[in-house]
Amino acid sequence: MGTTEAVLVAEGLRYRYGETVALDGVDLRVDPGECVALLGPNGAGKSTLVSIAVGLLVPQHGSVRILGGDPRRAATRRLLGVAQQTLGFPNTLNVNELVTGAAIRGGLRAAAAGPIMAELGLTDLAKRRVAKLSGGQKQRVQLAMALVTEPKLLVLDEPTAGLDTPARRHFWQILARRREQGTAVLVTTHLIEESAAVADRVVVLDRGLVLADAPPQELVSRLPDRTVTVQTGLGRDELAAMPGVLSVTQDHDLIKIQTRSPEDLLRVLLDRDPALSDLRVEDAGLEEAVVALTNGAEVTA
Amino acid sequence: MNAMMGRIYAVELRDELRAIVREPASLFFGIIMPVGLFIMFNLLYGHQVATYGLSAGTAMVATFGTYGVITVASLQPGIGIASNRDIGWLRMKQVSAVPIGISLAAKATAALLYGIGVLVVMGIAADAFGTLQASPLALLRVVVVLLLGSIPFTLFSVAVGFRFRTNAATAVLNAFLFPLSILSGLWIPIQFLPKVIGEIAKFLPTYHLAQLGLAQLGDGTAMIHVLALLITTVLAAGIAVMSYRHARI
Repeated sequence: MGTTEAVLVAEGLRYRYGETVALDGVDLRVDPGECVALLGPNGAGKSTLVSIAVGLLVPQHGSVRILGGDPRRAATRRLLGVAQQTLGFPNTLNVNELVTGAAIRGGLRAAAAGPIMAELGLTDLAKRRVAKLSGGQKQRVQLAMALVTEPKLLVLDEPTAGLDTPARRHFWQILARRREQGTAVLVTTHLIEESAAVADRVVVLDRGLVLADAPPQELVSRLPDRTVTVQTGLGRDELAAMPGVLSVTQDHDLIKIQTRSPEDLLRVLLDRDPALSDLRVEDAGLEEAVVALTNGAEVTA
Repeated sequence: MNAMMGRIYAVELRDELRAIVREPASLFFGIIMPVGLFIMFNLLYGHQVATYGLSAGTAMVATFGTYGVITVASLQPGIGIASNRDIGWLRMKQVSAVPIGISLAAKATAALLYGIGVLVVMGIAADAFGTLQASPLALLRVVVVLLLGSIPFTLFSVAVGFRFRTNAATAVLNAFLFPLSILSGLWIPIQFLPKVIGEIAKFLPTYHLAQLGLAQLGDGTAMIHVLALLITTVLAAGIAVMSYRHARI
């Protein structure tokens, strides 16, 4: 993808709010059809980065380009589709009015709203006011408004929050079709394992710095940790004191033990509790990899 | 304005008018209250003689008309902007590359159209009560003067909308609107109020707008009122620009 014109190129972005550093020299590239997930703890700089990318904030240093254009310019912004939790709509309008309005504001005819409303299952809700929609339906309306202009770059903030599993699957299927047509996606989400499943690359931010920028599997493979899941009568304190144990968590009847040396741990476990059951040893997931990168800070969108 | 901007303006205006029609609180403060007061005072005092030899019912078209128009011009854009900011709708438009000037122009136009509606209802009511003694041309002049004179109130409303959240903006705008209306003689003629209020009124833009409206129906002088309103417009524009520049959208 190196020779393809990037959809988004950010170089050396710096931004501070007073004394607080939000971005400290961030580089980011998103290519056509690519899905990039932004992860990091609260205050990592994700929202600032997204706000700069969509032209709502001006970087104090560095530059950002959308297909070579400045996102502060109206013509460039029309290449974007944005669905953010901080963006809302008035309760006095209905679904059809919102989506047709988004089409017209994006330079298209109102008729462009019909197909995308059908694709997102909003046709039957067309005359319903926003005030009477569920959270998931509002999410779909926002996505329809973002997609109706057929953007080159979709910027999504917690796009599947409030959606049930079938709706979430449907959402990613719709996005997959757009990506096949070349639409790039920049997504922030607290559903890290979902990011692992759908993103081509994961960018981990913390305190304004990019800590990692790699495919999810590569990030996971860098982590030597394993998760040992077991049902045992041994106490959590006793388990935590065993060799190589990093953390112990309980999930209903099962105990999850994170460790760097699963073989040593298993020898001790079997020795102390011959009756243990439901034993499983798995690689650590993306969540563990991101937490390890950010020194245990709670990772959210 | 090119064709695309024209279409965006049309959709913005359409959404603003829908918000007015579909929001009961807006209808109460914007039309029911001014027109209700106008009808009540017209029934009580409409046939008495007021200033410039006009019947009170005719003068009320200018005074209550001023109240009706500035109510809409003061409340509608500012509360709309504050509400749009609160829910993130203004950010949504910003991201959608809608020029802020188009959004504001649509809000101002919607307020003007709403103001015209209020004046038409008042005119019909006054005519029905037989208290209206003015030519159609004079009435048209009143409408034009009141609508143009509402511009500084719209600008001030915009300034408040960019500075405060919805509830605070509503409170601030009403806190200006009601004292201005009473102290300028929009509800009760200034000659029936204590003399000191008449002195205060001379410094209020609402007073000058009402007097300018009355001058279209009678023989009053207009220049001093025009000058006062122009100064107010310049000041309100400055406040609106400053407020927008410091606003968190």
